[in-house]
Amino acid sequence: MPSRLRLLALCVGFALSLPLHAAEAPQRWVSAGGGLSEWIVALGGESKLVGVDSTSQHPASLTRLASIGYQRQLSAEGILSLRPQLLVGTEEMGPPPVLGQIKGAGVQVEMFSSAATMAALQGNLEHLGRLLGDPQRAEAQLASYRQHLEQRQQWIAKAKAGHKAPGVIFLLGHVGAKPLVGGTDTAAGWLIEEAGGHNLATNEGYKSFSVEMLAALDPDVIVYADRALDGDAALKALLKENPVLAATQAARNNRVIALDPTLLVGGLGPRLPDSIDALSASFYPDAAQAAVAP
Amino acid sequence: MRRGIAPRNLYIGLGCACVLAIWLSLALGPVSLPLGDTLKATLRLAGLPIAGTGLEQAELIVGQIRLPRTLLGLAVGAVLALSGVAMQGLFRNPLADPGLVGVSSGAALGAAIAIVGESRFGAVPEALSPYLLSICAFVGGLGVTALVYRLGRKDGQTRVATMLLAGIALTALAGAAVGLFTYIADDATLRSLTFWNLGSLNGASYARLWPLLVVSVAVACWLPRRADALNALLLGESEARHLGVEVEALKRELVFCTALGVGAAVAAAGMIGFIGLVVPHLVRQLSGPDHRVLLPASLLAGATLLLFADLIARLALAPAELPIGIVTAFLGAPFFLYLLVRGRS
Amino acid sequence: MLNADNLGVRRGQRWVLEGLSLQLRAGEVLGVLGPNGAGKSTLLGGLCGELSADAGKVTLDDRALAEWAGVERAKRLAVLPQASTLEFGFSVEQVVGMGRLPHRSGQARDAEVVAAALAATDCAHLQQRSYLALSGGERQRVHLARVLAQLWPDQPGKANGTLLLDEPTSMLDPLHQHTTLQAVRTFAAAGAAVLVILHDLNLAARYCDRILLLEQGRAAALGTPADVLQAARLKQVFGLDVLVQAHPELGHPLIIAR
Repeated sequence: MPSRLRLLALCVGFALSLPLHAAEAPQRWVSAGGGLSEWIVALGGESKLVGVDSTSQHPASLTRLASIGYQRQLSAEGILSLRPQLLVGTEEMGPPPVLGQIKGAGVQVEMFSSAATMAALQGNLEHLGRLLGDPQRAEAQLASYRQHLEQRQQWIAKAKAGHKAPGVIFLLGHVGAKPLVGGTDTAAGWLIEEAGGHNLATNEGYKSFSVEMLAALDPDVIVYADRALDGDAALKALLKENPVLAATQAARNNRVIALDPTLLVGGLGPRLPDSIDALSASFYPDAAQAAVAP
Repeated sequence: MRRGIAPRNLYIGLGCACVLAIWLSLALGPVSLPLGDTLKATLRLAGLPIAGTGLEQAELIVGQIRLPRTLLGLAVGAVLALSGVAMQGLFRNPLADPGLVGVSSGAALGAAIAIVGESRFGAVPEALSPYLLSICAFVGGLGVTALVYRLGRKDGQTRVATMLLAGIALTALAGAAVGLFTYIADDATLRSLTFWNLGSLNGASYARLWPLLVVSVAVACWLPRRADALNALLLGESEARHLGVEVEALKRELVFCTALGVGAAVAAAGMIGFIGLVVPHLVRQLSGPDHRVLLPASLLAGATLLLFADLIARLALAPAELPIGIVTAFLGAPFFLYLLVRGRS
Repeated sequence: MLNADNLGVRRGQRWVLEGLSLQLRAGEVLGVLGPNGAGKSTLLGGLCGELSADAGKVTLDDRALAEWAGVERAKRLAVLPQASTLEFGFSVEQVVGMGRLPHRSGQARDAEVVAAALAATDCAHLQQRSYLALSGGERQRVHLARVLAQLWPDQPGKANGTLLLDEPTSMLDPLHQHTTLQAVRTFAAAGAAVLVILHDLNLAARYCDRILLLEQGRAAALGTPADVLQAARLKQVFGLDVLVQAHPELGHPLIIAR
């Protein structure tokens, strides 16, 4: 009897806590920020999203949701028309008066960090986990993310021991034309360094360089992100529009790599470890082959 | 012998259109509110004791979001149209537009400095930060206009032709400076700058509205008093002088009203084009060039048109918003072409 | 009335007008003649204050011209320039109505004056037309109506203004040249002082009480048409060989080119 009583008490206790849980976890979410939206999906919250901003393009299923426009130019009434309970976004959300209007309407507004650091990512994931009502999953994701990155860093350290870090240039373009160079403080620059490369660019931000200058820098590897094309089509377009690049070591040794431009926005995203894997493998092909070879 | 519409009928027509625009602006939006709720909420906001439950959402949406936005639209539309009339009178040319004296490009430069400067150098006191953009845009607009005016002065006289050329040159210079700021801006700042240049009534709040309201009311009260003098100015500067008009003072007032009005409008809502050019044209077709009717009618027409444009801006891509400058350009440019083609035949 | 005392106007280093002394009298039409570049328009400009006097002075009703406030001066002095650059579609009634701007006489009185001025210049039938739809000659007459409206007397026959006209007949057909100048004479007869720049020597001879002949910025002659318009003088000033005869019916000088 005592065990049945215990079981009953447990059930009652659980039943009582259920509405509490439901009240805690908001059900209708609007997300302003591509990186955040990706993490929400990764943590299993996609069903809660009723609207996303224009930078939330990954995964593709998000584009089917209602669009609230550009994250810095939100419309209060537009967001309220989706009857959300929660608005999540980074400090890039705006304009500030609109956020005030949304708060005033009783919508919970939660701010996250858009900084590309592990500390920020940890804070964001913990926060998201709490909001989603599933902190354990968030913790688990974070742990495996960290582990993946650390393992890769170890691999890179070993690869660096044997080889010089390759000189890398990151280019961002549209159908191959007018490529911008990713500078030292950009997400692209960060990616290159994390993957064990050496960013040859000395500028800040994304700036246009003359193609001669690029050729003179003669990078070992070119990483290219195209806003309109993917994969091989992008690389073909780049070399077609900028024939001078064909003279670089990178082009001659066929070390021009395509990158998905959506990886560059929104801080550290879920797909990052995989892309660092891919990049570092192409930066140190010998080490990569050695790892694969039996 | 087309004589246009009698003034009284014109005012009635425009007045009704304006009231309709105001009502639609309060009643329509991405959030669908029952019309009855909107009406009750509006009356409550006006101070009337109306009974009713469940009106909180309506009061919030109408009172905090739609009403300030409507007021902003009225003020911006009115002041841009009035400034257009003033400039067309000053330059004695129906193709003139407030931007000719450099106020728009100066405001754009001020905004660029604020947006890019803040992201690069930061360190702006908390209290000032939300107003920084507006203040810089306003100061920029006034500054460039003052320079254009100064360049047009010689021997105590303002030469309008010189002002026109100075305006063109300074607009180009300001544009180049904005280009430079664009170059040094990072991606996010760039988008902020771009959106500001497209204009928007989004985020209107009572606190930020009142400077513009004060300026609009001042301009709207002052310019119609100079209607007779403006008519005489169209005869020619020396003819106006011979009729006893203090022409130099009038020119100074016109430039000042435009700088103040457009500067405040741009500071509050970003760059909204075509209203200053098209509205006076349109109204002149209906009322004739007499400023005694042209000024009040343009005020009503400008306010009404901008509110209708804002409706499109808010509803076309809901829940996102289209910058209103795009709407006014899309409506204004073809209409202008239509007027030109019709005027040719 | 308007007086010029030793008026001189300089453009750069050159004196365009020198030593001009002139008194405009009420009830009189003074014609200003001279070849191109003689200084006629400069004289007009100096007399109305458009050009500042570099020498001498101009007085209106015994007060220096510069001391008059705009509106007060406009009630006593009206100027009709040679060409108009009005490009907006006002009605003729509105254009003439602008002449009443210096006065605060109310809508009813303004409407009366406008109608009278239009009648005087034979433009009554144009009243509701758009200014832009008029011919050059019609526009010229409308502007004349405007300046007449500006000085229109409060009581009939009690005009006391000064009217300066710069070639008011340049675009008119022969009939209207005469009717316009006759209207000007009538206006002068009502008490106004009128100065009119003309190119046509015969029109000047017929309609002017006195004539000022300008030559290279200086007064070559000032007097009645009969005194001023003499063959030798006209040859000297205009370089034109002429015959001067008396008009068969009216007796004023008739200048015939040889």
